[in-house]
Formats: sequence, C-alpha cells, structure tokens
Amino acid sequence: MGVLGESVVRVDAAAKADGTLRYTDDLPFDGLYGAVVRSEIAYGKISAITFDPSFDFSDIVIVDHRDIEGRNANVVLTDDQPFLAEARVRHIGEPILLLAHRSKRRLREAAAHIMIDYDAQAPVLSMEESLALKQRLYGDDNVFKAIHTVKGNPPDETGLYTLEKTYTTPHQEQAYLEPQSMVARFDGGRVKIIGSMQCPFFVEAALEGLAGEKIEVEQAPTGGGFGGKEDYPSLIAGYAYLLCKKAGQDVKIVYDREEDIAYTTKRHPSKLRYRSRFDSTGKLHALEVDITIDGGAYVTLSPVVLARCVLHAAGFYDCGCIRVDARAVATNTPPNGAFRGFGAPQVLFGIERHMDDIARTLGLSPAVVRERNLPGAGSVGVSGVPIAEHARLRDLFESARNESRFDALYDSPAPHRGVGMALFMHGAGYTGVGESMLASGVSIVLEADGSVEIRVGSVEMGQGTLTALPQIVADALDLPVDMVSCRTPNTAEVADSGPTVASRTVMIVGRLLAQAAGKLKTALGDYDTPDGYREAVARYRQSGAPQQFGASYEQPADILWDEDLFYGNGYEAYGLGCYIAEVEVDPVDYRVRVVRFDAYNDVGMVVNPMMAEGQVEGGVAQGIGYALFERLVYEAGRVRSPRFSDYTLPMAPDLPEISVRFLGVEAPSLGLGELPMDGPAAAVANALGHALGNAFDALPITPETVEEACR
Amino acid sequence: MQITCTINGRTHRFDCAPESRVLDLVREAGMTSVKAGCGEGECGACSLFVNGRLVNACLLLAPQIQDAEVVTLEGLQEETAAIRESFAEHGAVQCGFCTPGFVLRAYDYLSHGGERSEEAIKAALDGNLCRCTGYRKIVEAIVKVKS
Ligand code: FES
Ligand code: FES
Repeated sequence: MGVLGESVVRVDAAAKADGTLRYTDDLPFDGLYGAVVRSEIAYGKISAITFDPSFDFSDIVIVDHRDIEGRNANVVLTDDQPFLAEARVRHIGEPILLLAHRSKRRLREAAAHIMIDYDAQAPVLSMEESLALKQRLYGDDNVFKAIHTVKGNPPDETGLYTLEKTYTTPHQEQAYLEPQSMVARFDGGRVKIIGSMQCPFFVEAALEGLAGEKIEVEQAPTGGGFGGKEDYPSLIAGYAYLLCKKAGQDVKIVYDREEDIAYTTKRHPSKLRYRSRFDSTGKLHALEVDITIDGGAYVTLSPVVLARCVLHAAGFYDCGCIRVDARAVATNTPPNGAFRGFGAPQVLFGIERHMDDIARTLGLSPAVVRERNLPGAGSVGVSGVPIAEHARLRDLFESARNESRFDALYDSPAPHRGVGMALFMHGAGYTGVGESMLASGVSIVLEADGSVEIRVGSVEMGQGTLTALPQIVADALDLPVDMVSCRTPNTAEVADSGPTVASRTVMIVGRLLAQAAGKLKTALGDYDTPDGYREAVARYRQSGAPQQFGASYEQPADILWDEDLFYGNGYEAYGLGCYIAEVEVDPVDYRVRVVRFDAYNDVGMVVNPMMAEGQVEGGVAQGIGYALFERLVYEAGRVRSPRFSDYTLPMAPDLPEISVRFLGVEAPSLGLGELPMDGPAAAVANALGHALGNAFDALPITPETVEEACR
Repeated sequence: MQITCTINGRTHRFDCAPESRVLDLVREAGMTSVKAGCGEGECGACSLFVNGRLVNACLLLAPQIQDAEVVTLEGLQEETAAIRESFAEHGAVQCGFCTPGFVLRAYDYLSHGGERSEEAIKAALDGNLCRCTGYRKIVEAIVKVKS
C-alpha cells in the first residue's frame, strides 16, 4: 500500500481551516487570568517591593518566590535560572511576582500599583563587555561553556594565502504566530497543565522540581514553535502552576505579542572570526574559527547550541587542519534559546560567506572554490571522523549547480542582479550521544476495530507530525493511513519519545515506530488484504496477548562520541542542502528583492512530499527574513520595539518563487525541519555580494547597509 | 456601556468598557476562529467582516460595532468550503493559526472577482502573516480554488 512518499493531506487541515481547532486560548475556560510582574532593570538587587496601600489587593492572588514549595530553579542543563527572582535580577523582564484575577482589567490595575525599588548595577550588555569581565555574572570568566577542538596539523605555509574575516549574526525572533500560552487546571488539589509547547516531558520535569511532585502535562494544538516553545514553556507553565495552586482555581496565562517578543528566548547572536589558509586554486589547507555566542542572562540551552555551532563551523569542506575555539557568554539580556537550526544557521552563514570571500580574493567563481573543497572518501570533518556523506554532497552540489545554471548566471550578471550559493549540512537528531541519553521510547496500541493508536510525546506544531507518523506506521503495517492516529501528547498517557526538536521526530521517533509496528505485524502473522488484516486482528485479540507494542532507542554500534575530546560522530547522520539565490537591488531605494530561490535538499526518503516542500518553503522564508528583514533593536538590555510593526517579517509579496527539489530519496529518512533555515542567509548575502561587488558580513542586510556599501 | 450587534446572524449584547477590543468580544462570544496574533493590525489572524468589509478585529473598539453586522469564519462555512478544501489539498495549512484569516482573505478576494494570478494574489495577501508556509502553497491553493 506504500503510503510513504505520498502527499497525504494533513489530518488536522480541515479543523484548522474551518477554525474549529482549539488552541490553548480557545479552550473553554472559567478561571483566573495570570500576569507576570517583571524587572525593570537589567542587573541589580531588589531593595523593596511596595504594594500601594490605597489599592485594594484583597481579591488579587499574589505569588512570589516564597510560595514555591519545591525548588526555585528551572533546571534545563543547569539550575541557575529561578522561576521567580529572589534578591537579584539579571535581565529586564525577569519575573519577580505573579498575579491572578478574574478580570484582566483589574489585573492590569493591580500591576500598576506595585512599586519595585532596586539597587541597580551597571549591566553587561554585549559579548565584548562580558569577556572583559565588566561584571562577574557567571563563574570566573562569564563563560557558560567553552569548546576547543583541533583536528590535523598546521600546513606548510609556503605559497599559501591567508584570509581573516569576521561575520556577525543578530538575535532572531521565532515569531510563531500563536503567542506563548498555558493553562493550569485545578482539580481537587491536583494541577494539570495544558498549553502550547514542543516538549511536554521537559515541562513535566521542570514542574516536578518546582512542585516537588509529578504534574500531568498535556500539549494543546500549537500554533508554531520553531524552537521558541522548546524550553520557554517550562517557565510559563511554572507561573501558571504557582498561581493555580495558590488560588485553588484554574489559571490561564497568554502572552500578548509585545511580552512574547520582549521576554521569551531568541536565536543567539554570534560573532564569528574565520581565518583560512588556501592555495591559488582555492583549496583550503587550514581553517581557524573563533566563535562567540551571546547566551543572555542564564545558561538555558546555550552549551548545546554552542556544540552545534562547533560541529557545523567548517561546513563539510575538506580541510587538513581545522581548529575551532568557541564560547557562549553571559550578558544581562533575556536568555537566548532554541531556534530552528540551533546554532547552525549562524556558523553556516560564516563558513559560506567565507568560501565566497576566498573566491573573491583569488578572482575565482564561488562554485569552483566549493568544488575544489568538496570532501572525498578520506576527508574528515571537524570532529575528526570521516565525512560519510561525501558522495551525496557531491551529487547534490552538481545537480544544483547545473540545473540552476549557476555558472552562466555568475559569469554574466545583469545590472543590479547577482546570484549566490550556499552548500551546507545539518546534523539530524541530538548532538553526540544525546540520543542515547534521551533513551526515547515509543508505543503503539492495537484497538479492537483494528485501528492503531500511536502514543508518543512528539508534538504537532505545524510541521506535520500527526500525519507523518501515521504514514510511517501505516506503511509498516500495510494499512490505509486513516487506520492510524496519534494520541494527544500527555505525559500521563504516552511514551516519552523525547522532545520535538533537532529534526529528530521522523528520523528517530519514526524509526522506532516502524520497529514497534514491525513487532505488531509479526504478532499478527500473515495477511494480504484489509479483510485478512481484520481477521488477523480478531484472532490475535482473542488470544489475549498484549495490545501494546513498544520500541526504544539503542545507539547504533558504529556511533562513537567523546565529549571531552569533541571527537567522533557528532550526529548519526546529516541532511544536506545546496541553495541558490538570485537577488536584485533597487538602485533607487536600495531594497533587495530575492527574485528566485532554488532549494536542493538531500534528506533521504521524504515521507510526505507536500508537507516536506512546505517545510522547506517556510524555512527558506524564515532564512530570507533572517538575511534581509528581521532586526531586533536592544537598548540598555531592553528590546526597543517588540512589535510586528517594527520587527518586520517577510510577507507574501516579499518572497520569490521557491523551487524545492529533493535528492537522495532512496536512503533512510532524516529530519528536515531545520535544514532549510541554515542556507538562505548565506546564499542571499553571497548573491548580493555578486550583484554589488561588495561583501556583506553582518545580518540583517537592510537598505541602509546596502546604501552604505554602494557609496 | 451596552453594545448590540449581530454576529453570524444572531443578536449579541455586550456590557463592556468602551475601550474593549472587538477581538476580545467576539472571542468571548465563542467565535474562536478569530485569533490574536499581534494585536496591532499587522498579521490578519483576527480577520472578520463588519458590514461586509474585511477588517482586523484587534484594531476595532466596541463602539465601532454598535448595530453592525459582524461575520466570522464560523458564519461562512458554506461559502468558504471550496477555499478550505483547496487549502487542505494543496498543503497551505501548517500550524493553522493564521489559516482562518487567510481563508477569509481569500474569500473576500475571490468574491470580489480577484484575478487568479500569483502576483495579484500575493499582493492581496500583503496584510496576512504566516510564519510557517512561506506563502507559496497558500497562493497556489487560492489560484486553484474550484469555482
Ligand atoms: S491580531 Fe489583529 S492583525 Fe494581528
Ligand atoms: S500556518 Fe502557521 S502561521 Fe501560517
């Protein structure tokens, strides 16, 4: 029946299109609204909290850190971040008090009658200030995590060119269209959390620390995440939980857009110094990369983001000597966190810009320089092991280069037009031995009518989990896809299949589900027809054997990883991309328009081509936004204009036709979610460099920067 | 203050402050297809019709719908059936949060005889934000709505 590889219509499309699907804020609700009172300063001590005596607070539920029965720590990788500030605040917007009331209006009035005084200290607002130890924010050196790795020996320098360039990338806002939202339901002393999230089990773990007991967590339909709902929802769930527990009533917290942009996690800004040695043919002999990323006020996920930066820092190019020095530093800005690509879009912008800079230095075509550095059978990557993907990468590169007519476009540019390329990879699944530490499990249940229910913690947030996972199971069982469904992810009811992040849902969870389905199929014995299946199910159920089948992750034997040496297979496998952008610059107002975009991808077997194309188109749109539109301005540690009117996202007329191709579809499925975010910014910047004969090293590239470059 | 209007053909009375947003009123009245995406007229997720005009409910205050005829996606199920089908069939729906707004925009566009060209449709979608799709499939779905 083979439903793999078919563009099955999304199971949730109809309910989404007719408006009946209920997201968190749409669920029937009769309770209190919650609000957060936040720090107004970036760094300092709280000296006094005054409740205006002329205001009647008697009907307002007020929570501060003393109400926390468990631990006041949102434990992600470390425990440095409190749910509610105690003595000290470390960023503007840090939560200090929580309030709840039935009327939103009264809630706002109450908040306006609370005065907080501070002993402010000079905040650390940049990575430079942090490394100069303007204030000691974390450990001895303000470094959350540092990674150093060297592979190979320095080359003989005779006849080699040296190029050193610095590239910078800014904050980026996930801008999922549904803001962060969470409900805590009170049921006879027990609290249940329902909300918009990517990782119900992360939220459960965070609440267990906060509450000192297990709290059931359920995902509500989620209007986009892009990483922004990976770690952050644990905090807002904690706020809702604390208010609910104290009030003894249901509590709902829904951020408005300003609050969401101003205080939730962003993509880490980065400063990337690339220093390369290469010969006159463009062949790389040595690459030194120095990476600094801004983690913000708390550790959150920065160490893992940093590891992903390092593993992608040199792309997949063949280079005998690669050295990477990387650090994530503390500042007094709101913590940064996960965002689609998770560290890779930053460094892939760096290396892909640098390849073009090498080409320019030598007067060669960027395609030629890339070709000279394609890895071969013996090439090893930044973590010291051979690049298994070398043949796939070459195929992809050649197809993209030829089919897009890159050389012809590059050699005869039209006025104000340019073409640019990015060749890149994205590690699928968790970094290093992460997957084996997650030890994900899945389960499927055979129902009486022969239908099958998938029970995993992987969530639908727009990317298509609810459709793709049933396709995988239906394929394994030779069933029509509508015989398989997913149970709503709820920590009390489904297997912990790990978080919905890192392009791992289809690759890891999907593979486990196929194994579980294989066990069910073996148990049922032979059947060829739907009727045969139903009979086999009836027979099997009569035997009283178990209805539930599981599988859990086992690390493939050939995967090795040494975290201390940063040596081994950083990932089980990589998705590959070769993206080509054509841009046009308006000579009057310096606006840049991407006029054509070709996205060549190799992510193995594509489960649902229509959904996969949608992922690529959406990722490319986000990447073009990163390149040309999206700019958050921070002033003294505060996002100056946290609104969509200031933080410009690409709209339909801003985007070109995006042509999407998938190669290598005979291979096993890899994740696809993040890959398309990695390449567009470099492709666009390189195209612009071609159009204007000028380099663009800092994102975003706005009309102002273009004008400056043209002068 | 008291505000009276019809929503999807039924009379509703609100006892509300004059600065109440229409967005909140219609959602409290149960029309949750109207979504709060930005609260400042930038995203189109809160689209609804007031006296036949497609507007952003987040920018309207309660007095502006006094005696008005308000219609949301809930009240246009039959009229939008072909559009919704096309959205599903062509993969124009991802997280879905923007979708009701896009469906109403498409309905408004097509029912005013909008041209079925990609360029014209893209221009017509300028007030609606989608962070998931990159818009291509939305445009394609509108081009291919069966009439
Ligand atoms: S919520 Fe009204 S336009 Fe965005
Ligand atoms: S489908 Fe998610 S915002 Fe459009």
